[in-house]
Amino acid sequence: MAALKRAVLLLLLSLYTAFAAGPFVWAAMLSLRTTTEIHRNHFAPPNPAHWDKFAEAWFTSNYGVYFTNSTQVVVSAVLLLTLVGSMAAHCLARYRFRFNRVIYFVLFSTIIFPPQITIISLFQILVQYGLYNSKLGLTLVYVAIQLPLTIYILESFFARIPSDLFDAARIDGYSDWEIFWRVSLPIALPAVATTVILNFILLWNEFLYAVVLITEEANRTLPLGIQRFIGDTQEDVGMIATGLMIAIIPVVVVYAFFSERLIQGMTAGAVK
Amino acid sequence: MAVVTLEKLTKFYDRGPLPAADAVSLEVQHGEFMVLLGPSGCGKTTTLRMIAGLESISSGTLSIDGRVVNHVPAKDRDIAMVFQSYALYPHMSVADNLAFGLRRRSIDRAEIGRRVAAVADTLGLTGLLQRKPHALSGGQRQRVALGRAIVRDPKVFLFDEPLSNLDASLRVSTRGEISKLHRRLGATMIYVTHDQVEAMTLGQRICIMNGGRVVQVGPPLEVYKRPLNTFVASFLGNPPMNLLPARVAEGKGRLSVKLGGELLELKQRQYSALPAGAAITLGIRPESIAAHASAGARERLAGVEAEIVQIESLGAETILAARIPGIESELVARVGPEVGASVGERRSLWLDLSAIHLFDATGALITADVGASPA
Repeated sequence: MAALKRAVLLLLLSLYTAFAAGPFVWAAMLSLRTTTEIHRNHFAPPNPAHWDKFAEAWFTSNYGVYFTNSTQVVVSAVLLLTLVGSMAAHCLARYRFRFNRVIYFVLFSTIIFPPQITIISLFQILVQYGLYNSKLGLTLVYVAIQLPLTIYILESFFARIPSDLFDAARIDGYSDWEIFWRVSLPIALPAVATTVILNFILLWNEFLYAVVLITEEANRTLPLGIQRFIGDTQEDVGMIATGLMIAIIPVVVVYAFFSERLIQGMTAGAVK
Repeated sequence: MAVVTLEKLTKFYDRGPLPAADAVSLEVQHGEFMVLLGPSGCGKTTTLRMIAGLESISSGTLSIDGRVVNHVPAKDRDIAMVFQSYALYPHMSVADNLAFGLRRRSIDRAEIGRRVAAVADTLGLTGLLQRKPHALSGGQRQRVALGRAIVRDPKVFLFDEPLSNLDASLRVSTRGEISKLHRRLGATMIYVTHDQVEAMTLGQRICIMNGGRVVQVGPPLEVYKRPLNTFVASFLGNPPMNLLPARVAEGKGRLSVKLGGELLELKQRQYSALPAGAAITLGIRPESIAAHASAGARERLAGVEAEIVQIESLGAETILAARIPGIESELVARVGPEVGASVGERRSLWLDLSAIHLFDATGALITADVGASPA
């Protein structure tokens, strides 16, 4: 009976793995084949494997530039988000002050606006401040759009840290600033990791703001770069797949690095 | 060691018109173990937090060793506090938890290491120094919390119900450890609890609080034997003191009290202030009531007829609940194991006249005239 249960479980897990990993494996195979080979047979294995396509994409098709731009914009945005978000969340969760909940509500309520509503005004603002078509402008926009969700996730976690810990640290002689860095933030690391992964993946794949706010080739991010290979009448499917693989790798690395913390953040809850 | 003086310490919170602590005045002496005892919401924790510097003081004065510290930050008061939840930093090892407070006080690393090792040795934590709090049992966490306070060598120790998260047997042994610790360190300690057993066993003096106010302060036995009002009388003791409605049967001078149909003559005391017919409350502890009385002992006892309504045999003793005709509340007696009584039986119960307390209509103790024998 136990063996049967195990077999059923294994079967279900295998099916789920195939469902989840299938598209990834397929894209990986496509990335090693030329567009001509792909048109001949969509599902054939990469034989021979064209590893040189990665070098070609990176150097000839400008993916190197896109990748660097994406990395600069997203890493800075995620760093800023983590720093500002965790400070704001700590403050909202920890201190009782007038309009605390009002501020929290106003911050959080901004997520109800679809991006299409705000994008034209954002465009205007960036043009006025000379930030249009710049990586700094896009970074700031990314921070602004992701901040409410970041604060929402972190605030609920910070609020669960018992206030006795802060009191103990105060008696131990630490200032509010030190308590944030040495007590709150380390305890909230699982939740911080959750927001890092979420923000990284969402921003790494972000397209709408990037396509409106960046037009210069030198400042394009990866999703815009990949889009360049989609023409009106024909698509370079092989190169798109290679670009996709280049784009996916950092996400996988970030996830692998933070996933244990992410799981802790989702399951832990209790601060012993 | 230090003297902690509270003068009319009051705390108002934004959310309520009534003070959480209402003009609390108390002096804790050098090296004294003072217990703040009271039911939930009586203001004892608020008072402790004001002493710690974790709550602002609405009015009144708090001084440590004669220096007013109302506006001195918690870190500069030289106090240590043990919290109910232990408040161990979950991301730090036991060693780091112990050293965290010292690192802030510009003590060199070697000295910190030496102090941490010494405290760990005293509390049996040496083998646990590299563990994180989640890998410790409740008792071990409690010891780390104690260690964190001791390692700082503060002027004053504050304890906020530190035993309430422990199971019964661990509570008894930790109680003993805290008591030993006090004897060894000789430090001033202020301990908050709602558990009267902890208060009676640990405290050199007990400060009983109710509704934000100090109700009575004194050594445990004095507070137990001579409660100043019905609140203290009913709060201390398990089962608590019997409080029965009674009337003064005669006028001034030697007093008789009518309890139900019985007339009790309080021969040894004089209460010149009590008018005849006044409604009073008669208090007597369960252990001051006997099921049997030898002929010789009856001189200082008064027998009352009562119907036994419940018998709880606890092995070493028996708790009897009885009803005196004409009185609604039950009379509870703590008697010997071999009482030989049965439920429904009417029998005499013997009240020790010297252990009777009288309270007026407001619940305050009526004191006997000066010169008369005390209760």
